[in-house]
Amino acid sequence: MTQHPDDDDILTGPVPAPDEEATAAERAHAKTFADIVDKTLTGRTPAAMSADDRALLEVATVIRAASGGMALSAGKQRSIVEDALRQAVGEAGSGAATGGGGVTPIARGRRTLLPWAISAVSVAVAAAAMLVLWLRAPGHPDHSGASVAAAPPAHWTSRPADPLIGPIARDQAGDASSRIDYIFADRLDGFRERRLARGGKP
Amino acid sequence: MKSVLGSLVILIAVASFVAAGASCSTNREDSAPATTRVADPSDVIDQDLMVALAQAKNFHHKAKVYMSDGNLVAATASVRQILSLRFPKGAPEADDVRLDARALLAKLLVSQGKLDEAMTTVEEGLAATQRESFFVANLYTVQGEIHEARAALADAQGEAGKPQAIEERRAAIASYDRSIHINEKLQAQLVETR
Repeated sequence: MTQHPDDDDILTGPVPAPDEEATAAERAHAKTFADIVDKTLTGRTPAAMSADDRALLEVATVIRAASGGMALSAGKQRSIVEDALRQAVGEAGSGAATGGGGVTPIARGRRTLLPWAISAVSVAVAAAAMLVLWLRAPGHPDHSGASVAAAPPAHWTSRPADPLIGPIARDQAGDASSRIDYIFADRLDGFRERRLARGGKP
Repeated sequence: MKSVLGSLVILIAVASFVAAGASCSTNREDSAPATTRVADPSDVIDQDLMVALAQAKNFHHKAKVYMSDGNLVAATASVRQILSLRFPKGAPEADDVRLDARALLAKLLVSQGKLDEAMTTVEEGLAATQRESFFVANLYTVQGEIHEARAALADAQGEAGKPQAIEERRAAIASYDRSIHINEKLQAQLVETR
């Protein structure tokens, strides 16, 4: 194995022949880069790396993604979608309305049906109440005869005086003056009560 | 967006409850007076009836004063005016007041010895009767008294007047029986209605 003077310059250095054995420096560098790739795949990308390694790492990531072998976990997928939604809705406005909370998770999105269900029930109740009001309106033709006037109280009516006077004894046969007093007083009560009930109208 | 939706839901819910409450309040109003208003048929006590009753009352008091003063003629004239009072058409009180006035008028005429006129007054009243009442029964009682007065007058004629006296006493009994029958019938009806 020959040692090239520019082994550390893997991007700009000469390309070794296919059958040429790797040098110790090349092996060490390959091992280091493999560690970086492994860490990146597990989400532990090193904070600091050389520019060459970063460029290689990006190429490796693109190649891996293009090959279709990168399956994101469910949590990661949900996180990515929610991030996208947050950007679409506007994180600032959403945060102000919800008191600092983020975008509603997709799993809880179905709960938005509840307000609409409440609205639908409320509208149905209001419609039923309005229908009842309309059906019971005084001007509306009512099959139950609600506009039929009630009979006035008996003591408001002109009627025989028999219940008031009762049987007339023989010795009282000529005492018509007392009986007319009773009749007049009784009818006056009814007349006044009816008049008061009508607001003083005769 | 979410706050607008929540406000809309609250608004609809409040409107629903208001509408439902209005419906319930209407039901309460309907139940208290399932009867919307009191009718005003022609048989209620009106001002015309009260005026007629007041006039009858005054004529009776006037007659009473004349009777206490011994002026039976003036008392009779005062009671007779009650018969010409105008009552509302079909008022039951009109029959009762007129029948009672006829009873008093007949007794006044009897006390003045005017038996035939008294009997005529009673018979006119009974003939115009539309229904049985305690006032009709009272008029039959007065009729019986007139028959008794006639019997007494016939008795005063001696033997010649005896057949008429007997006839008048039978008529008096018939009148009293009729009065008793009406009273019993009406009292039974009153007990049933109570």
